[in-house]
Amino acid sequence: MKNDKRDILLHLYGELPQSTDLRSLLKDEELRDEHAALSEAKFRLDHRAKERPSQDVLDHIIAAAAAGTDENLTLKRRDRKPIARTHSLKKILIPALSLAAAILFGVGMGWIGGSSNQVPASAPSALADDSVVPPESLYRYVPPRQNALRQASERQSRLAWDDDSSLPNLHRRIITLNPSNGTDWGSGALPLEVLPTSQNRGFQTAGSNN
Amino acid sequence: MHPADEVLVSRYVESGDQAAFHTLVNRHQERVFGYLLGMVRNREVANDLFQDTYLRVISALSKQRGSYTTQGKFLAWVMRIARNAALDHLRARKKWQDVPGSNEDDATSYWERLPDHEPAADFKMHLSQQADVLKVCIDALSNEQKEVLLLRHEADLTFREIADLTGCSINTALGRMRYALINLRRMMSTEEIKDLTEVGE
Repeated sequence: MKNDKRDILLHLYGELPQSTDLRSLLKDEELRDEHAALSEAKFRLDHRAKERPSQDVLDHIIAAAAAGTDENLTLKRRDRKPIARTHSLKKILIPALSLAAAILFGVGMGWIGGSSNQVPASAPSALADDSVVPPESLYRYVPPRQNALRQASERQSRLAWDDDSSLPNLHRRIITLNPSNGTDWGSGALPLEVLPTSQNRGFQTAGSNN
Repeated sequence: MHPADEVLVSRYVESGDQAAFHTLVNRHQERVFGYLLGMVRNREVANDLFQDTYLRVISALSKQRGSYTTQGKFLAWVMRIARNAALDHLRARKKWQDVPGSNEDDATSYWERLPDHEPAADFKMHLSQQADVLKVCIDALSNEQKEVLLLRHEADLTFREIADLTGCSINTALGRMRYALINLRRMMSTEEIKDLTEVGE
């Protein structure tokens, strides 16, 4: 019974399978009344005036569709291999700014160190000679007092090492310790066997031990 | 012979044929707008929702068809978008309450249990103030009955498509439609009796 009412409704809306026999359904009085009631309401609904949106809305939609088409074409063009940007602005700016910041920082620190190293006129001459600041002090901060002492000690050690009389003195000492040595400085290189020792004197032929 | 919806969609998506899209809008404008107007009962709001619906359609089609993957069911797809727009609007104004859908396909169960909604108490007073009697009668239906009626009569969807769209069984959709028609007939008969009485006086 319930399926029959459902079939009547489907028949009204043209969705009933062709195999269903409607005539046999309408022989039942209750189903016939059901069919009439539903048909009447449907008839009124079918003859309602159709509503339409305003023309402004339709125009806006059509304009948006045109824009959507452009966007679509843009998407299609994206299939092409993108053009590689060799030097982007970001890649150039960031290292340049980093380098500039590092230089400014270094110069700033050097300026602070340099202003601290400025020695008054009454200072000792060893410290006053540092009018020329070593380049490394531009990048490395050294406390002023330690800096002066270190430079003074370096100067002293450098003067002792660069004494011009050290080499002749060393040469004379070698000659004195080995007077029998006939070789001279500046001669060609000789094998060690040629040099005299305490047990044999100079070069000997093979088999001449005695 | 008019080209099918699918052909027009392909022309628009693949070759940017704006005339094809224009044809699609014109072809279905009464169905979509009639459903929206019946749901929200306000022409300005219905115009806004109609525009939102087709802007979403354009956006989806611009993404190489987007969510439109079902071939040959363009109208059902558009109606789903329109329904979502309408329900969002109604839910925001607390004029829509979701009813859990009945997925059971037992014909006797839902057919018997479906409530026969009586017209609201203030229906007669409201009815006398409206020129379009039928429109007021439709408004007096429950949300579920009204939606099925609008989807069938305005959007011209089949009951199977309505069931898929609203997330219920086809028997539920048929039951809602049946009681919508019965209630409409009852309400209109009441109004006709009233009119005849007024003429007689």
